[in-house]
Amino acid sequence: MSAPRVGERAWVPFPEAEETPAIGFLRRVREGLDAGLELPEVAARGAAALPSRARDALRRAARRLEGGYEEDDWGFDEEFVEMVFPFFEFLYQYWWRVRTKGIRHVPSHGRALLVSNHAGTLPWDATMVSFAIQREHPLPRYPRFLVLNWAFDLPFISVAMRKVGGIVASPYNALQLLEEDELVAVFPEGVKGAGKSFRERYRLQRFGRGGFVEIALRSGAPLVPVAVVGSEEIYPKLANARPLARLIGAPYFPVTATFPWLGPLGLVPLPSKWRIEFCEPIDTAGYGPQAADDRALVFELSERVRETIQEKLYENLVERGPAFA
Amino acid sequence: MAGRRVLITGVGSYVGGALARRLERDPAFEYVAGLDTRTPRVSLERTELIDADIRNAVIARLIPQAGVDTVVHNQIVRRPGPGMSARAMHDINVIGSLQLLAACEKAESIRAIVIRGSAGIYGSEPHAPQFFREEMSRLFPLRTRFQRDVGEIENYFETYSRRHPGVVCTMLRYQPGIGPSLETQITRYLKLPVVPTYLGFDPRLQFVHEHDALEALVATVRNPVRGAVNVAGPGTIGLTRMVRLAGRPTLPIVPGLFDAVTGAGKRAGLVDFSDDFRRLLRHGRAVDTSRLVEEIGYQPRYTTVEAVRDYLRTEGGRRLLPALRQAVAR
Repeated sequence: MSAPRVGERAWVPFPEAEETPAIGFLRRVREGLDAGLELPEVAARGAAALPSRARDALRRAARRLEGGYEEDDWGFDEEFVEMVFPFFEFLYQYWWRVRTKGIRHVPSHGRALLVSNHAGTLPWDATMVSFAIQREHPLPRYPRFLVLNWAFDLPFISVAMRKVGGIVASPYNALQLLEEDELVAVFPEGVKGAGKSFRERYRLQRFGRGGFVEIALRSGAPLVPVAVVGSEEIYPKLANARPLARLIGAPYFPVTATFPWLGPLGLVPLPSKWRIEFCEPIDTAGYGPQAADDRALVFELSERVRETIQEKLYENLVERGPAFA
Repeated sequence: MAGRRVLITGVGSYVGGALARRLERDPAFEYVAGLDTRTPRVSLERTELIDADIRNAVIARLIPQAGVDTVVHNQIVRRPGPGMSARAMHDINVIGSLQLLAACEKAESIRAIVIRGSAGIYGSEPHAPQFFREEMSRLFPLRTRFQRDVGEIENYFETYSRRHPGVVCTMLRYQPGIGPSLETQITRYLKLPVVPTYLGFDPRLQFVHEHDALEALVATVRNPVRGAVNVAGPGTIGLTRMVRLAGRPTLPIVPGLFDAVTGAGKRAGLVDFSDDFRRLLRHGRAVDTSRLVEEIGYQPRYTTVEAVRDYLRTEGGRRLLPALRQAVAR
């Protein structure tokens, strides 16, 4: 090591004037604690040393730790959703390269029932439908999802579902939400759709007993069919390990090329290319609420929705081309 | 027209005493009687106290003598207090209700019976509707002892009201109460130094503020309607949010070990959770209050969140973190 030449500044460790944000943060926290302040206050003071984005995030975290957040009557936590948005944005734009059509068919106010096909083992399609509305709609709103009951038995998952707008799939809940003029999303294929094998991809399963049509008729909410292309390829399910499913009480236990072999890494969805199309709404208010008891009409409408979705699935599948290119 | 004549069972409880005091100050009520073996916690002026055990057949002689038009059945035990066995609680709830009904059979002056029952009959279920309406009490099996007691009580009163079309029976289904003067499982829970929760669960809870618990009862005595009516503060609060607002640290316990840990706490005399309360902490429960508002005509003053905040305001001085710091500083 040669001595510094004349005129060259010597390297000084930790110059007082330019401390890094992290050091500044810790120093302020230390001072705050010494002054006997409350923890959230300490965190807020320390945050003053950080760049503004980190500061806001930290303040929010401190406030949430004090219970300073709102959940609506249904347990929906808008701030929580906003916190996970950047992750959804990444999935939407870069991972699945989603293209959305027909967003104008989603009403900007009043009740409506979104009816979508369901695939891909985990409900990623639900998150992307919701995010598509947030991103593309001129007057975005949060849809509430009717979620398979089983999810609400599970720790963590049940809480996360509730916070992002998931609701136990019961007709009482659906009806009440629609009467409160909310936007509700259902997946009438249910487990049959999400748990089908890769061979059956893009073949719509039976639409339950048409309960969703009854609810729409009873509340006069228009039905908006939604076709999602791409979710079928995210976890190509090769087999169903029934004994394992029974062991944990799950409706199915998927075996894919990567799951469960790679452990949690096997949960990373494949980056297929997606298309979401919102189709023209089917009006139900004209039939009147008594029509909900008319079996023939319920099946007819259910079949009409199913055919619309199936048709749009094929159309978008052709348009999209190869799944991963 | 002569004033109303009311008999209140369980007048020794907080709500029972408060109700007697509220009614005796109201000139519309010409006579108020209170039945209990315990002495009321508040001083009462013109309430006639009847010192009798509700489980005893002697009330079949005393109640017709009082000549009342309304009976408020307020003696349903939600949680056995110190020195009360589970058996005694069951006896008071079920045998007490039966004896009361037997007495009402003989009293011809009765026009209305108002029961302060429990929303516990709905249970706490992961697949429950977000808001139970009154007709949904049979959606799930009755799982705990208390639920079965409440189920039996409801059956007795239903049968009675079918047999006596001239008597209006209102079954009020109360959510757990909260408030500065109440001491309940939930207030004891929030006072624990460390609050045990189920790891990975954050149920939606619903409470009724003590003010509304009393006023809903008064409103129902004034305007009884047939059948069950839910009583609760509108809206819900997440357990995590409530505990954070209370400023308590939580101890999340793996669901499989929760019973073992709280059982050990019980032996150490720290906690004592009933089966119903444990289920509530895991799955929560909320009810729909539109019947209370529209048919009885009572609009609760506090929502669930406001009720919790009001309770916590009075508890504000006992938060853990500042207390710890003071202890360290000393």
